[in-house]
Amino acid sequence: MKKITVQYGVDSITKQVEGGFTFGDLQDSDAIKAALGFGDNTKALVEGIEQDRRTVIPDGATVRLETAANTKA
Amino acid sequence: MEHTEIIIRDNGTLTERIIRERDLSAEGDVLEAMTADVTRTIRHAMPIPGWGMAHANVGLTDTIWSVPIDRIPLKARFRVINGVLVPMFASMTDLEMPMVWQAPKDVRLVFVVRTEVSEGCVVVGGNWLFAFNNDNNGYRLPLPNLHDECTICTGQFESSYASAQAGVSASLEQFNQSKWNSDLMTTVAESQKFFRFRPGNETFTTLPIEAADWTTLCAKVSTAILDRAIL
Repeated sequence: MKKITVQYGVDSITKQVEGGFTFGDLQDSDAIKAALGFGDNTKALVEGIEQDRRTVIPDGATVRLETAANTKA
Repeated sequence: MEHTEIIIRDNGTLTERIIRERDLSAEGDVLEAMTADVTRTIRHAMPIPGWGMAHANVGLTDTIWSVPIDRIPLKARFRVINGVLVPMFASMTDLEMPMVWQAPKDVRLVFVVRTEVSEGCVVVGGNWLFAFNNDNNGYRLPLPNLHDECTICTGQFESSYASAQAGVSASLEQFNQSKWNSDLMTTVAESQKFFRFRPGNETFTTLPIEAADWTTLCAKVSTAILDRAIL
């Protein structure tokens, strides 16, 4: 288990997650979505750098989620 | 400048330490690199006729202008349903009307413009429309022509101006004149609970939002631009 902090807007939560928990797992997590209010279209950043969905989140990391741009329908 | 110190260590050894100091000429570059992400806020930076004051968030390469607004011009197609006038953005047959929606006090709207200076001109790099609640969380309104991160789909728009004031004013004029169509529309149901008007004999009155908490009709957003918006 490891501890991560997730920020979305002015809200943030700290959670214990499994060792192999990735940025993609975070972006798809219904529980964290419900807690922070983000949708399906996000990108994950650590210290301002966008992270690959497949990358495992390091223990103690602070992940900032941002709303990603969509394309014109 | 250089000076020498003689140190007596705990074990009795004598050690000579030479300290040399010189000023480096790279302080400008170093400071610039260290402060690349630092921005400065200037409130009431300039007036925008017809809208109010613009606040500035000045970065190294761009400026984010925030104009708090209290209304949204809605040139769109509308229909009266159960005595209430509501938008029908995707309709091709309903009447097109130039309505103005007055925002309630707890819906804090900010029109945002990003500018950069290029070749002596101020270049508008985008327009955004954010709604903030009283907890300072930002939301995307249930409107078409807004991307998920609240960029406004402006269509054809001249991007180069002689001044930032001209660029921000032109952006708001485009916002004022544009028609809202069904591009980027998800569902009209939230829009029709949000943007409601009561038809009178000669005027239309903005009705309260049909939800106990208006944010339930919107999508919460978090972006770098939103973080630089000033209420």
